[in-house]
Amino acid sequence: MLAYVIRRLGYGVIVVLGVLLFLFILFFTVASPDDVARRALGEKALPEVIEQWKANHGYDRPLWPWQDFSNNMLFEHYRRMLTFDFGRSDADDALITERLRQGVGPSLALTVPLFVVGISVGIVLSLFVALFRETYIDRLGVLLCVGGMSVSILLYIMGGQLLVGIWLRWFPISGFDPDPAVVGRFLALPLLIAVMSGIGGDVRFYRTVFVEETSRDYVRTARAKGAGEIRVMIFHVLRNALIPVLTRVVLAIPFLFMGSLLLESFFGIPGLGAITVDAINGNDFSTLRTMVFIGALLFVVGQIATDVSYALVDPRVRFE
Amino acid sequence: MLEPHIASNLIVLVLFGAGIGVGIFVRRNRLWREAFGELWRRRPVAIVVVLVYVVLALLDSVSWVGGVAVGEDVVSAYKARSLLDRAFADVQEASYSAPLAGAEFYGGALLDHPGRHLLGTDILGRDVLYLTLKGARVALLIGGLTSLIAIPLALLLGVSAGYYGGRIDDAVFFLMSTLASIPGLLLLIALIMAMGKSTLSVCIALGVTSWVGLCRVTRGETLKLRELDYVQAARALGVSEPRILVRHILPNLMHLVIITFVLMFSGLVLSEAILSWLGIGVDGSWGQMIDQARDELSRDPLIWWNVFAAGSALFGLLLAVNFVGDALRDILAPRTLREEP
Amino acid sequence: MKLGAVALLLVAIALPACTNNPYPDGDASEKILYANYREAPRTLDPAVAYTTSAHAITGNVHDTLLEYHYLKRPYELVPGLAVRLPQAEPRPGGRVAYRFRLRPDLLYQDDPCFSLGGEGRRTRSIVAADVAFELMRIADPAVNSPVIEPFSNLVGFRDFTRALAERREADEAFGALPVHEQYAALGGIEGVGVHGARDLEIVLVSPYPQILYGFAMPFTTPLPWESVAFYDGKDGRAHLADHPVSSGPFVLVEYNKQARMILEANPNWYGVRHPEWRAPGAIYPSEGESGDAEAGLLDPKLVGRALPFLQRIEFLREKESIPAFNKFLQGYYDASGIIRESFDRVIREEGLSPAMEALGVRLEKSVIPAVYYLGFNMDDAVVGSPGGERARELRRAMSLAIDVEEWLRLFTNGRGLPAHSPLPPGIFGFDPDYQNPYRRVDLDRAREILRAAGYPDGIDPETGKPLRLSFDTPDTSAQGKLRFEFYVAAWRRIGLDVEIKATNYNQFQEKVRNGAYQIFQWGWVADYPDPENFFFLLWSEMARSRNQGPNTANFSDRRFDALFLAMKSRDNDAERLRLIREMRGILEEERPWIELFHPEDYALFHGWLDGVKPAGISNPTAKYRDLDPVLRTREREAWNQPVLWPVAALLVLGAAVTIPGVVTFFRERQ
Repeated sequence: MLAYVIRRLGYGVIVVLGVLLFLFILFFTVASPDDVARRALGEKALPEVIEQWKANHGYDRPLWPWQDFSNNMLFEHYRRMLTFDFGRSDADDALITERLRQGVGPSLALTVPLFVVGISVGIVLSLFVALFRETYIDRLGVLLCVGGMSVSILLYIMGGQLLVGIWLRWFPISGFDPDPAVVGRFLALPLLIAVMSGIGGDVRFYRTVFVEETSRDYVRTARAKGAGEIRVMIFHVLRNALIPVLTRVVLAIPFLFMGSLLLESFFGIPGLGAITVDAINGNDFSTLRTMVFIGALLFVVGQIATDVSYALVDPRVRFE
Repeated sequence: MLEPHIASNLIVLVLFGAGIGVGIFVRRNRLWREAFGELWRRRPVAIVVVLVYVVLALLDSVSWVGGVAVGEDVVSAYKARSLLDRAFADVQEASYSAPLAGAEFYGGALLDHPGRHLLGTDILGRDVLYLTLKGARVALLIGGLTSLIAIPLALLLGVSAGYYGGRIDDAVFFLMSTLASIPGLLLLIALIMAMGKSTLSVCIALGVTSWVGLCRVTRGETLKLRELDYVQAARALGVSEPRILVRHILPNLMHLVIITFVLMFSGLVLSEAILSWLGIGVDGSWGQMIDQARDELSRDPLIWWNVFAAGSALFGLLLAVNFVGDALRDILAPRTLREEP
Repeated sequence: MKLGAVALLLVAIALPACTNNPYPDGDASEKILYANYREAPRTLDPAVAYTTSAHAITGNVHDTLLEYHYLKRPYELVPGLAVRLPQAEPRPGGRVAYRFRLRPDLLYQDDPCFSLGGEGRRTRSIVAADVAFELMRIADPAVNSPVIEPFSNLVGFRDFTRALAERREADEAFGALPVHEQYAALGGIEGVGVHGARDLEIVLVSPYPQILYGFAMPFTTPLPWESVAFYDGKDGRAHLADHPVSSGPFVLVEYNKQARMILEANPNWYGVRHPEWRAPGAIYPSEGESGDAEAGLLDPKLVGRALPFLQRIEFLREKESIPAFNKFLQGYYDASGIIRESFDRVIREEGLSPAMEALGVRLEKSVIPAVYYLGFNMDDAVVGSPGGERARELRRAMSLAIDVEEWLRLFTNGRGLPAHSPLPPGIFGFDPDYQNPYRRVDLDRAREILRAAGYPDGIDPETGKPLRLSFDTPDTSAQGKLRFEFYVAAWRRIGLDVEIKATNYNQFQEKVRNGAYQIFQWGWVADYPDPENFFFLLWSEMARSRNQGPNTANFSDRRFDALFLAMKSRDNDAERLRLIREMRGILEEERPWIELFHPEDYALFHGWLDGVKPAGISNPTAKYRDLDPVLRTREREAWNQPVLWPVAALLVLGAAVTIPGVVTFFRERQ
């Protein structure tokens, strides 16, 4: 077991190193540091100010190790990212770590409830649809699901904001306040919209799993013993179908930290997603590559955790 | 240097030829014929809808220079214009007008072509139906060009990893896990920011982010195929490796490629809409029209026909494609491909 | 069925809690002004901050020696921290001096940085040396101030910059010293004299009356050296750019760029501590321009009262304009601009729509001292100077094709004044009767000019096709594209084939640096109300290609330069007007720009907000605003009753669709 964990960790490290190389190629060879500096400092910046800025941001070295082995941007990039020393934003010199710290809270405040509500609603609805499989309710459900999947999330957001925020006035149209007394008001509308937009794909997937499960022998046995349809669904089908459902769900957990690019931007929630969109609009490469790196890191860690827990449950995995 | 419109015409010609070729192939091959027959039986409406979009895209792809200028736009006489452009020539107004209206929406000045705009006109007075129909080509271009990039790449890497194994497999697997671990949308954005904004770079970026799924599937399938008796037999008989790959492996991956492509398609078009919102999408796409509507929905009285037209066109295409994709998956691979790519 | 009951119960509990009020309930009775911003300022360093969003903070946090009279137009300077307006005093050698005298007993806000000046110290007096220190920071090349140019008229200003750079280069130990010690070691700027705690004398190389405007801008606020030394961004301390130390009516108490910026009234401000002085910057004015009385700006409940009125100002981040505007309509923002898209519902024929009047909203219009234009790259071979007479004719023809009134109608709902020269209204030299012969629409004339220039019907004889030009922009948004397509369509009418090349910012910069651009769109907002601030955009010394200046058109004309230098430092007299007319004539003929429009600002205010007058020039104005929280709370409650019947309707619909199926299903099973 230990050997498996070590092997898995080692591979994770290699992947993270690969991601960093990829980011380096993408971000350091594309925009010249002078461009980035000029954008940050304004058009009137003097050459010495630009040099100073480049030095402060670590953009003043040669790119590759073969140009200067002891002082190059590639190694510096690795050193900084791996020690979580993300430095300062290219756009406004703010400490990136500090900014991330501020953003995690609002992001989690949105994504954790979204995760929980999304899965519960998805499972309840898909159980409902699977229960009535082969009837018009099932066909209507699938039709609605495919229809829901064919609509752009932009339309969900714009429509939801217009309908619920402006015409019906149920919740604030946008904004965020971490004060627990009011935070719920701000999250209600984005939550509603996000659940709506994601429900189609989820329900369709869970439904397939459940329907497949209902054709198994144990279900027939349970039914033969006189268990009611609803009982069969909840106590037999749901329990046995949980593994494929969880596989899909667990992989989404690392991305909870990243927030949601679109929702946060439209609803003015100052989370990591909104920070990322700002970085995109402001050509803030240092923030953007930090976000990409963190996303990749969380994904790798999440995957290792998943794999190891599977290996704990099912010893065959270890020797694959 | 080829003029862009001639290149586009040539591509249409090639695609047309390829389509006929595929058609002949399908008619001759019993398995494929039955599969498509089954598909047609199950989803006739969805297939017709998809074909309508394809025809529209083709109409907008065949273009030539010449003809009289459109209205005051004297330059248009020197520009390549497609069949669609010509069909909608000279329906320009000054600004917004509602569907089938006779006067401008704000101010109420009389239109030059009252009652001719089925879906109204946009802020610059362009016919919304025309813009929406033109979006079909962009959407199919996004899907098509991306597939042209992603599928060969995925096949090449997936098959060689699965067939040869060893170092090659390790390298491909490493590449896949590296790309797969970067959050998709962020990777997409980073790539486009790096390459600059253009249709091609959007498609390349979408290709880079979407080949991994197909590659994983083809690799797994090749691993299985390699061990099958007839492949082993062909090997023992001394059939050359390229021949084995082309005759025995590739044809048995085709159904996976088709399913993945169809299922991938709606994801690509939806991703483009998000990119449009970030200002790095493709010009003329429905995503861009929806993005413009962000402002129009708050006008009062509100301008709904722009977003309605783009949203419905997008919805119609994706709904049809999703239905076709589901049916294809059921027909061609009843159980192996339950997971979405 | 149980599930349905639970859902109904949940809905029943949730509905009464349903509210769209984005603020804690307790805040409703406070005098808190709510405003919003789209992009947080890059920096709040007063020597650097240059954008409108930054000035919303720096302008209210940093007091200046002089300020603009709140109500009077044209703009008039009044004393701020200074006791009176200084007079120009001639000095030998053509030099001119101004002497400022500070008020006594001025204090900074309480701030930990002052412990540098003595253990446990919380604040200290504002002294003349602090203004001199800030002037030296403007001169400091490492600070990268955007206003070096106007202050270069100070004697010894450039020398100080040079000496500082040289010493830092030569002596690393010197460069490591705190900046105030570096400045002291160099002996300061020759033309800036500090006499005691309260007197500051500045000496100019030559007459330059506009310099006084500089002392009404936050750039020249007194800045304590402690704040620069303390807020260095190290060991968990903030950066100066994120932590202003206030000398003005408000203090920045919370600064979270992503979410909100909060100002609170400054108890150490002289207006609060010494209302008995009746200082012009601390008392609501009693006179204004004509129309102010009718607009309620001279209401007795305001006039003569001590400032500031507000307890707190909350700037909240709104990235999208539609939520921001709709929250204004719901009463959750106190003031708003009008987004273009909502114009029609707000404005009917120049006035407010009945719906808006019913809400008690008021409208203020003002022309912003700014100009938007299309520029040609004058270094380009086809459209620029190397193209000679032929290119000049091309520029004239292109200028005649753009119908800016139609553009304004489509994209700004007619807000904006078509521009005929760079100078906007309110700036000396603006001439409402001037008609630029190339700034009207005349397609026939344009075609004629093109034919004469050798482009018959726009055809480039070398290719036999319409002349191809490129329009370069860093704006890749869909909205931007629509606007640019308007120009393209206009030029196509005269046979020119202009292609929009929208690239990202870095690629655009690359193009600009390489001179690989032909046509671009740009705008300029005045820093101070003087024609020099507009014409220098076309001065050859400011050329982008040679000196990285703001003259992106790279316009370079000897006659124009000579006139500019002569006009620059004159008082507003008849000769200056003559020079301006002559420069205008050159621009008319040469057409480096196609002047588009001067934007007009329409601002909306709720009935509970008082003392609001729009100012085109950045100026601290928040201290003059007052609001009535009781009225606000009442209106908000009346406007924001949620509409709840759709919930019931949806539940009924869902039940109606599913119940028959459910019933049949269970009947069949049994």
